Order: sequence, then structure tokens, then C-alpha cells
Amino acid sequence: MSQILRVQDVNFSWGKNHVLRDINFNIAPNELVAVLGVNGAGKSTLIKCINRIIKHDSGEIRIFSDIINQLSLIDLSKQVSYVPQSVRTSFSMDVFDVILLGRRPHINWRISESDRNKVSDTIRYFSLEDFAFRKFDKLSGGERQRVIIAKAVAQDSSLLLMDEPTSDLDLKNQLEVMKNIKKLVSNPDNQKSALIAIHDINIAARFADRILLLHEGKIFASGNPSEVLNASNIAKVFSVTAEIQKETKISPLRIIVKDEIIEV
Amino acid sequence: MILICVANSFVNLLGVDYIDSISQRHVESSKFQIFLILALSVVTFLFAIFAMGSGSSSNLDLYSTMKIIFGLEPASELQSAIIWELRFPRILMAIIGGAGLATSGALMQGCLGNPLVSPLTLGVASGAALGAAFAIVLGVSVASNSDIAIVANAFLFSLIVVAIIIQLGNMRSISSESYILVGIAITFIAGAIVSTMQYFATDAQLSQLAHWSFGSLSRPDLVDTMWITVALISLMPSALKWSWDLNALSLGGDDFAISTGVDPASTRKKILILSALMTSIIIAFTGLIGFVGLAAPHMSRLIVGNDYRKLIPCSAIFGSLLTLFADTIGRTLFAPIIIPVGIMLSIIGGPFFMYLLLKDKGVKS
Repeated sequence: MSQILRVQDVNFSWGKNHVLRDINFNIAPNELVAVLGVNGAGKSTLIKCINRIIKHDSGEIRIFSDIINQLSLIDLSKQVSYVPQSVRTSFSMDVFDVILLGRRPHINWRISESDRNKVSDTIRYFSLEDFAFRKFDKLSGGERQRVIIAKAVAQDSSLLLMDEPTSDLDLKNQLEVMKNIKKLVSNPDNQKSALIAIHDINIAARFADRILLLHEGKIFASGNPSEVLNASNIAKVFSVTAEIQKETKISPLRIIVKDEIIEV
Repeated sequence: MILICVANSFVNLLGVDYIDSISQRHVESSKFQIFLILALSVVTFLFAIFAMGSGSSSNLDLYSTMKIIFGLEPASELQSAIIWELRFPRILMAIIGGAGLATSGALMQGCLGNPLVSPLTLGVASGAALGAAFAIVLGVSVASNSDIAIVANAFLFSLIVVAIIIQLGNMRSISSESYILVGIAITFIAGAIVSTMQYFATDAQLSQLAHWSFGSLSRPDLVDTMWITVALISLMPSALKWSWDLNALSLGGDDFAISTGVDPASTRKKILILSALMTSIIIAFTGLIGFVGLAAPHMSRLIVGNDYRKLIPCSAIFGSLLTLFADTIGRTLFAPIIIPVGIMLSIIGGPFFMYLLLKDKGVKS
């Protein structure tokens, strides 16, 4: 099966600090992959390398058959969309216009009928009708995050890269957004995938098809949530003890974090 | 009615055609904003006509000026000179200079993602002031003709600042903050050299330098103004080409822009060069006019939001109106004494700008 994303032997350093070391993984169509790890493990850096926000030092990243460094940024953004941790702005813009920016890779200057339709559909898909014409800079952090996710979805790319997309959301909105992303990705007509850096291991366990556990810049474990999220891996990577409950009604497993592990 | 029809045509150009409740509201909102831009253009045009008929000359009121312009009444040599050699170039310069500086300010604010920057932030004006000081105090100029010595020097020195911006843009890691900080450094360095020259200058030289720094629309003659108009009209439309890139850069910064296919470094470099060039062309002739480049884009944002496809034309028109209004007040309020437009813009525009920005913020009781 053709892969949407292939990451081969990717390394990246900030000065002498090796942030990513020999990273290898693929993402197939209709797959939702979660990247887990402690702060500074390299989750955001990995996502930024794939989106060419920062350039990896060595290795190769391909979107379908194209090497990302050989694509123009416009062509790359037609294939890959990105949700940053947060967007702060000094300027005011209607929410509709912010989501319309997702169509920018497909627009020359004039907005086409299909571009506006796409924005309207996305607004409905994420239930943003109530503030579609409010100013983006006047929204709460959580509302902004939903708008930026909608902008990335309106971009209509094959791969959604999301850097902690639920960090500012309340519990209800966390579930709603993740359900929407899961629904979008798992639709076989769409041929879309998502790579999501996230801190909430229960959200990851519930929605991800596969988990990459990053530790000290390397992939420590990779596989489906039941394989990766065991007490031993969690203890080694997160330095906490945890109890794992298998196959609840709503999720393949549930992780109850008990206590931190204090090394003497 | 005509304005509504024209607004509809512009909306079609921006892109519309179908009915969907959310999209329809967006179309209606765009239509209203374009109507406001057109209305602002009409107000500017009407005010320009009013300004043509305003001045200290007792036998050239609005009515008789109109009759002379439209050939209904013969003009004396003096009247003809006042209308075509004094008022017309001045008003045209207010319109085109205000439009250019406001466009330049909107571009700089957008590509640097900073609402506090103006066309003078990058040090272009300080470069021009340094050039003018060389010509006035030291008598050193690239042009041997004394009539254009100050203008030529001011333009050349501001181009040196543009060259520095180009060099900065070639450094891959240059951030928008770095551009601003280098601009501040250039301003301090140029300011220090100008101050040193002022220290050793004669009273006459000091007076001439101070007068240059006030910013005045009376300096360029009709021929100068026509050249400036041609140059700016050929440069300004290219700003619209980067509207979408500016929308992305101004909203979410570099990472966000890259995710929508914009290369922030190269786009920022091109926009800053265009912006600095437009500023150089204007202030070399007029002296320092700064406020319009900061205020007009912000006032326009209150009308059309931050969509640069509409913000650039709206800022240009608002800049024209603001400059024209300030200059007309400046030359009629204490006629025959003329207060330079740079001063009037800050006196009139400042409080108006503060009012617009604060009126929606509410008062804490």
C-alpha cells in the first residue's frame, strides 16, 4: 500500500543538542498516529521538520513519492497542513477569513466557489457557526484552537500535522475535536492521515490507530495503543507509575496515572 | 446606487457566485466593506475639489476656482499660477504621497506582524534625513545642481538603507524583530551623525534642516509631482499581489505562514524593499511625514478588517484623505502662514487615531 508519509533516518540538532536521532516511521492512508513523550522529547520538532518549518540535518522525508525538500512550499502545503500549539495575533480578522487562509495554497487571488463552499462546510463540520463572523483575536484560547484546526482541515491536505491540538480545549471540546478528526481520517473516501503530538495519553489511547513513543529524541516504542502503552514503557518514558485497564467500552485501554517515580 | 453597483462588481472580482447561508453572509460583508472603500474614495475626491478652492487668496474661492478649472471663466495669470502651479501639485502630492506612505505602512505592519511599525521604522527616513543634512550643512551632494541637491542626497541615502535591508533579507535566519532592531539602530546612528552636524551648523543651516524635517508638500513642483505619481502608481499595484501572503504573515507569524505555503523570509524581503522604495521616493521630496503610515492602516482595519486585498486600497485612500485634510487645514487655518503637513497630521490625526482605537474599549468605572 502506498504510504502518505515516509520518514527515514531523520536527525536534527539544535547546536550540540541532538533533538531527533535516527527517526524512522511511515504513515498509511486513513491512519491516525499519536506522538507521545515528555516535554523536550522532540514531538514538536518532528512535526516542524515534516512541515519544513525547520530543516532536518539528515535523512529523508517523503510525502507520497515526493521528497519534501524538493517541493515548493505551495505544493507541500497542498499535501500537508499544520496546527501549531497556539496562534497569537496583533491583528483582527473574521473567523471565516482565518479559515479561508487554509485555501490559500489553492487560491491565486480570487476566491472560487469551491473555496468558499469548503470553508462553509468546515465551519459546520466543527460547529463554529456561532462565531464564524466574530473577530479571531477576541476569541478564547480554546475557540481559537478550534478555528486553527478548522483552517488546517479546510486546507484539504492528505496529512494533518497537529501539535497539541487539544491543549487549550475543555473536556467536551477535546472529545468533539478528536472525534471529528478521527471521523475525517477514517473515512476511506478521503485518503487522509493525521500525525498528532499530544500529552494526554488517554486521548491518544482512545483515538490513535498507532502510537510513537518518543524518548530522548528516539522512537522508544511504536505500535497500536495496547502494545505501546504498558506500565513499563510509561514508567521508563514518563517516570510515573500507572495502572492499565484493558478494553473499556469507549477505549481499547485506560491509563490511570498513580504517582511519580523518584530516582534516588 | 452607483456605488452599490460598483461594489457588486468588485465583489464579483474578489469571487462570489453562489448561495450558501454562511458564504452569503461573507459576501454581504465584503460587499459592504467595498461600498465603504468606494464611499471613502468619493469623499476624498470631493475634498480634493474643496481643497483646490481653499487658500489665502481672496479672489480664488471655491466657486471661482471651479469656474476657472472647468473653463467657464477666464483666469488671470496670477490665478492660473495659484491653481495649477501651487494648489494642484500640492493636492496631487497629498493624495499620492498619503496613499504611498499609508500603503507602505500597511505592508510593513503586515509582513513584520507588528502593529507598531510605520514606513519610518526601518530607518529609511533617518537615511533620508542624513542625506539632507549632508547637503544642507556640509554642502556635499551627489547632484551638482543646488535645486535638487537635497532631494538627490535624501533619496540616495534612503536607498543605502534599502540596500542594507536587501542584505539583511539575504540572511536566512533574519526575523521580523531583527529587521525592526536594525532599523532602530540605523535611526540612532543616522540621528547621531545629524546631531553632530547640527552642533557645528550655522543658524541658517539649522533652520533649513529643521524645516526639511517638518515634512511639507510645497517642495515638489508639478513636474516632480508627476514623476512621483508615475513611480508610485507603477509600484503600488504590485503590493496587492502579496495580499494573501500578508494575510497569513500578519495573522499567525512565520510557522503559520509556512503551513499555508508562504516563504516568510523571501516574501518579507520583497515586501520590505517595495515598501522602503515607495517611502524613499516620497520623503526625499517632502521631508519627514510619518504619522499617516502608522495611522491610516489602523483606521482602515476598523473599516475593512485585516484582509489585505481590501486593506491595501482602503489604506491608500484613507492615507490620501488624511494627508489632504491635514494639509488643507494647515494652509488655511492661519493663512497666509502655512503649517507643514507633517506637524498637522500629528496634531489632527493623533487624537482622532486615539479616539478610534479606544472607542470600543469601554471605560473602566
